[in-house]
Amino acid sequence: MGTRFEVVLWGGDAPRLLAVAEAALERVCELERRYSRFRADSVLSFVNAHAGERAVGVDADTFELLAACARVWRESDGAFDPTVGPLMRAWGFHGEPGDTAAAAACVGMDGVLLDEGARTVRFTRPGASLDLGGIAKGQALDEAAAIVREAGVACGLLHGGTSTVVAIGAPPGEAGWVVEVRGSPYRVALRDRAMSVSEPSGRVVERDGRRLGHVLDPRSGAPVDGASLACVVGESAMETDAWSTALLVLGARPPRMPGQLTTLLPQQGGAWAVEGPDERLFWRSDAGGRAG
Amino acid sequence: MNETDRRSFIKQSAGAMAAVALLPELGLARPVRLREPVTVGVIGAGRQGRAILGELQKMEGVAIRAICDIDERRLEAGVRRSQGAEGFADYRAMLDKRADVKAVVIATPTHLHRDIALAALAAGRHVYCETPLAHTVEDCQAMARAARASSGVFHAGLHGRSNPVYKLAWTFFRSEAVRDPVAMRAQSNRKNSWRTPAPDPARDREFNWRLDPAVSLGLAGEQGTQQFDVFHWYLGAYPVRARGGGSIRLHADGREVYDTVHCGLDFESGLHLHYEATLASTYGGEYEVLHGTNASMWLAWTHGWMFKESDAPTQGWEVYANRQRFHNDQGITLIAEATKLAAQGKLQEGIGLPNSPLYYALGDFLRSVSEGAPVVCGADEGARASIVGILANRAVVTGGTVEIDPALLRGG
Repeated sequence: MGTRFEVVLWGGDAPRLLAVAEAALERVCELERRYSRFRADSVLSFVNAHAGERAVGVDADTFELLAACARVWRESDGAFDPTVGPLMRAWGFHGEPGDTAAAAACVGMDGVLLDEGARTVRFTRPGASLDLGGIAKGQALDEAAAIVREAGVACGLLHGGTSTVVAIGAPPGEAGWVVEVRGSPYRVALRDRAMSVSEPSGRVVERDGRRLGHVLDPRSGAPVDGASLACVVGESAMETDAWSTALLVLGARPPRMPGQLTTLLPQQGGAWAVEGPDERLFWRSDAGGRAG
Repeated sequence: MNETDRRSFIKQSAGAMAAVALLPELGLARPVRLREPVTVGVIGAGRQGRAILGELQKMEGVAIRAICDIDERRLEAGVRRSQGAEGFADYRAMLDKRADVKAVVIATPTHLHRDIALAALAAGRHVYCETPLAHTVEDCQAMARAARASSGVFHAGLHGRSNPVYKLAWTFFRSEAVRDPVAMRAQSNRKNSWRTPAPDPARDREFNWRLDPAVSLGLAGEQGTQQFDVFHWYLGAYPVRARGGGSIRLHADGREVYDTVHCGLDFESGLHLHYEATLASTYGGEYEVLHGTNASMWLAWTHGWMFKESDAPTQGWEVYANRQRFHNDQGITLIAEATKLAAQGKLQEGIGLPNSPLYYALGDFLRSVSEGAPVVCGADEGARASIVGILANRAVVTGGTVEIDPALLRGG
């Protein structure tokens, strides 16, 4: 994940709260060790090294994470795709460009076979690999928040890289943890909710003298100018993390997006659209006070 | 042969030359693929137990059939992680009911190891036990005696002895490359409270056993045992005296167990090991340094470096080795699997271990069980290192000097 995680907890027993926060962050580190593609000893590296040759057995948590990837991939019509790494590299988003056609042949979550009964994963496309960077941070925050809740702490805020946040309860006397959605005129009051914000990042790619978009569409295999920002609020940080990545490509809510997720997306002409059951949690900070 | 080919040939040959000399001594950092499958039960599903489950799942030929923990949540999480494993709250029930479990891995709090290990050995199981083996000298000796009387494998989890980087460094230490040891130091720095949030305040003592002076071996025992043993192994000797002290520098939360300690171990040869550990600073992390008249070695568990003296004889191969700069010194990276990497032209990349040190320790144990490979670190070595850790902690707690009677380390 390669980013900074922070935990803020409120309560009366400081040594115990410190221990709870440490346990939560330790879980994040443990998951980073499991799902980092940069670590040779991670579970993900093991899967990437062997799933092309045979079905690789994985633990229940890893299988659930991969199943969540497949679910969001389906519901987003392939806009979220954890197999897109080879294409990103070929387009030069992470270094020197390569053969994009060859890379495109490796990409597609439909080339990742998940056998629920046997709890195994297998790649059917040569050269395929998984990069869980678009979802693992959310999962780590969900698990860290579960440790905090199980320890009986009812008030806290956890974030990873300031792009995904989980609110537990609310500060005393407040309706929720107020978070500014940077890059938009909105603020949101979160209480027992997760939120993720994605923005285009990385360098702009130039091909044939043209400057291409920051975001790669896994379906077409080419860069697109999707949304300039995508914000998703829901109960699970794993879901909001993955969906904010998908919406950056799609630019708008797709029909099959789960109804319990709330989105904030830029519209034509500088307008913004908030849509979903938690719409009331958002208000414009430039509108002279909190609404809703 | 053109110039590029020649350079490549020399580079590969040089890498191979170094490694050929090392190969007979090395287990190499190869993945664990057991010839005969082994069924395993893991007792203790806390922090270390979770790490063990993760490493076992990467190995071929290992089937985790049972997991045991007295805490319901930890047990449930452990079972979720291991398909086909049955959960037990009591290790005796696990040993009774799962006769198919041939090998038992013990990762409970230190003071609980003894009874579990003795029961597992009595039930005819092979045993891997994390170190320190126990929190008292008597318990360590009892475990060593029981292991000697058993026909099964007993592997003490002293991870350095299985670590490919440390094995590689050991071969250098035994050669002229380092020559006569001059001085030794080690540290374990981290920044955390060493507290575990208990689900119920009434169970706080059970969960926070490391902060309970009655059973905790403190930083010198819990962290130091692993690190001291690197020197025991390299020198083939154990200290005769421990001096120490400590204080609470950061976590003034009512605890009695020090969060910062220092101790010195004296060897009969006159060599001295200086050790520091703290929970108040991360600087430098965990490492061991051994100074020799020809070179010094800095070992940091997943990486290792050698620093040659300018008057040390050149052995040839090191000209081509990967180097890293550390202020005024230049370190030669100690790379496990040098032959393979040289063949792939990767010797210059300076990569670390492909798996955690724990993986290799568990792998050595399971190879002994599955293939009858010699035990890399038995109960006697485990007991000796643990006794040194116990006595070092005693020196830290009393702020004085503790003589280490060699008779204690002979077993019995």
